[in-house]
Amino acid sequence: MDTIVAFFTDPANWSGDTGIPNRLFEHLYISGSSVVLALLIAVPIGLYIGHTNRGSGVAINLANIGRAIPSYSMMVIPLPLTLTLAPVLGYDPGFGLTFLPIFIAMTFLAIPPLLVSTYAGLRSVDRDLIESGRGMGLSERQILSQIEIPLASSILVGGFRTATLQVIATATIGAILGGGGLGRFIFDGLSQGVAGYPSIYSGAILVSGLAIGVDLLLAWVQRRLTPRALRTARRPTAGPPTLSADEDLQWSATAA
Amino acid sequence: MPRFRGANEEDNHMRTPRVLGLGMSLLVLLGACSTGATPAPSSAPVTSTAPSTAPVTSTAPSTPPASAAAKADIRIGSDNFYESKLMGEIYAQVLEKAGYKVERKFGLGSRQQRIPIMDAGQIDLVAEYVGSGLGFYDTTKITGDGQKNADALQAAITSKGLTVFGISPGQDSNAFVVRAETATSLNLKNMSDLAAVQAQIKWGLPADCDTNPICAGALKTYGITYPPAKRTALGACDVPMAQALQGKAIDLAELCSTQPAIVQFGFVQLVDDKQTQPAENIAPIVRNDYLAKVDAASFKALLDAASAKVTTEALTSMGKDIAVDQKDVAAVATAFLTANGL
Repeated sequence: MDTIVAFFTDPANWSGDTGIPNRLFEHLYISGSSVVLALLIAVPIGLYIGHTNRGSGVAINLANIGRAIPSYSMMVIPLPLTLTLAPVLGYDPGFGLTFLPIFIAMTFLAIPPLLVSTYAGLRSVDRDLIESGRGMGLSERQILSQIEIPLASSILVGGFRTATLQVIATATIGAILGGGGLGRFIFDGLSQGVAGYPSIYSGAILVSGLAIGVDLLLAWVQRRLTPRALRTARRPTAGPPTLSADEDLQWSATAA
Repeated sequence: MPRFRGANEEDNHMRTPRVLGLGMSLLVLLGACSTGATPAPSSAPVTSTAPSTAPVTSTAPSTPPASAAAKADIRIGSDNFYESKLMGEIYAQVLEKAGYKVERKFGLGSRQQRIPIMDAGQIDLVAEYVGSGLGFYDTTKITGDGQKNADALQAAITSKGLTVFGISPGQDSNAFVVRAETATSLNLKNMSDLAAVQAQIKWGLPADCDTNPICAGALKTYGITYPPAKRTALGACDVPMAQALQGKAIDLAELCSTQPAIVQFGFVQLVDDKQTQPAENIAPIVRNDYLAKVDAASFKALLDAASAKVTTEALTSMGKDIAVDQKDVAAVATAFLTANGL
């Protein structure tokens, strides 16, 4: 315990490339960029299959296969390619070693929860509401943007929370390929035997702290985005009935 | 996990020496799951937990108490990576040809698991790297001379009833390698040549280099400012390290000298001209209680003759056959022995 305190109070661990602030930044950078790319891929597909209910089986099963592949493999498999493409596409080979493989792996990790929650969120919207929208003469686009997305927003953010949490926790393995981020504290510690334990524990504390912090922030966002009438009551006795799909998908929504 | 817990319960109930054997075999199972890191010569010297007084289970019941000339059945073990299995297979085939019956117990995890297994009498012979093998007991005695390492290893394990046989001329040691074009353009041949160009190259070094005397310490011996300015942490002898070197993400990599990637990609191994890396020649280690059952002199002569043919080049090319061309270990061993008239 003392050694962990010593790790956090050592000024050398708070400055420079190997300090906690820079590692935290690297970790947020790789996690954030992967989640953003995953959003760009998963949300449009999820909105399409959710709105039309077409192709949902294929899309969701494909995404779930991606979920079954270990992130470590997803990182090592593209490595030869990301290195080979460096001279072709003109980026630094180091970028192809320490950034791209982990970026790809984390994007694949984030896609399934985003895709599934987008689809499930849209499907959870009451069919009667959509039909009345159509009856009022709304276009399909208007139905999507004015009825479905607002009503599903809480579930959408729930999937975003799951994806972000998983990515932040898993991005630690990027250190295996020489990547930065908080995983460095863990892997560098592992290679030092007993002397590395403080670094390992501190790295784990930092990663979980970051994941929990970001999750709490998103939980707050999620609550703000939920239409007032649909908000889960803080006390089960009061308020309108809750969305069942909401509870299925979000394992921590009510705790927030 | 349940299986493991079961073992502990039994341990509490019975507390008999046989349970130790059971624990060892579970360790084997666990070890088999762990990744087969190549013989990281930097492996931390873990104080052996196996008591040297380990109950020598009265060995194979099938073996009658034999005269010195008998060819008692032998159990050969190996660690969980191809080169250790290959060496075990080579010794196994030599003995089989001489009429011994061999039981192969390959893939026993890493040194941390395999040494207790051997100490407990579960295997009779294993191929060991003399540098890292010595490092398991005493890192301070490791040298760049293979025979010295073998002698020091013998001194360390005599009390356990183990004998080190003759060493192979070939070795699988730490190797600092560069791409052929880098070697040409920067005129690199020896490790000493690195100091002048140290700022120009991107270094691929293991994460434990900082605290490892044969990594950071060795580089400082060569006048290299440690840590280098441009450095990427990757596992020594790992495939990503070799891929990164090939893909020019790094310019210098720490690999193992018999690693197939060196042949495959035509990397150049820099000469360790100040002998900073431990010599890692290979030798069989045999239990004395087994040797007592056979004609020890002719038994040793058989294996020493085989070891003598194992050069670094032979190890590298056999490694390529196995790891790159996916050939069967036994077939590669047979081809090697046939080619060498053994």
